[in-house]
Amino acid sequence: MDIERYITNEKPNENEEKGNEAKGSGLIEKIQQLGQTNVPQMSNDSKIHCLTIVGQIEGHMQLPPQNKTTKYEHVIPQIVAIEQNPKIEGLLVILNTVGGDVEAGLAISEMLASLSKPTVSIVLGGGHSIGVPIAVSCNYSFVAETATMTIHPVRLTGLVIGVPQTFEYLDKMQDRVVNFVTKHSNITEDKFKELMFSKGNLTRDIGTNVVGADAVKYGLIDEVGGVGQAIKKLNDLIEERNSKEGQMLQ
Amino acid sequence: MILYTTMPQELIFPTEESVFQKQNIVEINGVSVLVNEERPGEHYIVRILSSNPADYLNDQFSPGQKVTMMR
Repeated sequence: MDIERYITNEKPNENEEKGNEAKGSGLIEKIQQLGQTNVPQMSNDSKIHCLTIVGQIEGHMQLPPQNKTTKYEHVIPQIVAIEQNPKIEGLLVILNTVGGDVEAGLAISEMLASLSKPTVSIVLGGGHSIGVPIAVSCNYSFVAETATMTIHPVRLTGLVIGVPQTFEYLDKMQDRVVNFVTKHSNITEDKFKELMFSKGNLTRDIGTNVVGADAVKYGLIDEVGGVGQAIKKLNDLIEERNSKEGQMLQ
Repeated sequence: MILYTTMPQELIFPTEESVFQKQNIVEINGVSVLVNEERPGEHYIVRILSSNPADYLNDQFSPGQKVTMMR
């Protein structure tokens, strides 16, 4: 797959560009016709990069293509690249996820938490289940007023617990999530577990659906806000970091 | 038909291998994109896999754009 080269075609409705399909890459075609490429000017200079965690967080099982997924084998190299690239000064994480694989989600969360550059997360729509540790892993977190986060116990679909050891394994996995969330946010372990196991909030299921301002009230998320506030906060954090570095050099 | 089971849907109705093979991740000018083969040899961009917000403004990578494979 790596050896194959892919190029984009020009839009078929543009008459002047017809009949050029056999020529080299799309980029070269544009240069020949217009004398310049129309790549946006800011392309390489964007100091804030954006990571979108959407759909299901896919772990070891590949989901059918009709599912919208975030694959950790895509996200982790991106985080590594963001850490290494000196031009990138901050990272904005946008979440709208239904949850997914616990280990993959925790792996992304740990990577984000250990990033040396300022990170700000924002939950839009939903940041459910394993989306919760990802949201709290950043330096500062926002939640949209209407966004929700479902907190519930870890479980496996299609599994009937046969031996007590399986239950213990699941319990330990759940503790990893609880520990991560309590370590990276202002919520207490007791409060988080109370939300996780409370009855009556999710009709017949156990858990709690936390909406916008409530997530802030419980200490899970730092502030209610949107993209504007998130970018502003990120710029403030970048400035703070840069001024600290300047002091260290002197 | 109503199913009453703890088994996930993917296990009961497994997706055909050919559906998975239609989607590919390729690199165009240094940007990873997810393409879907709608007809044999005709690939269309489904999604951009990049953390650079500028890549999403580049009309070269707009979803639905046709991609030609060169060997």
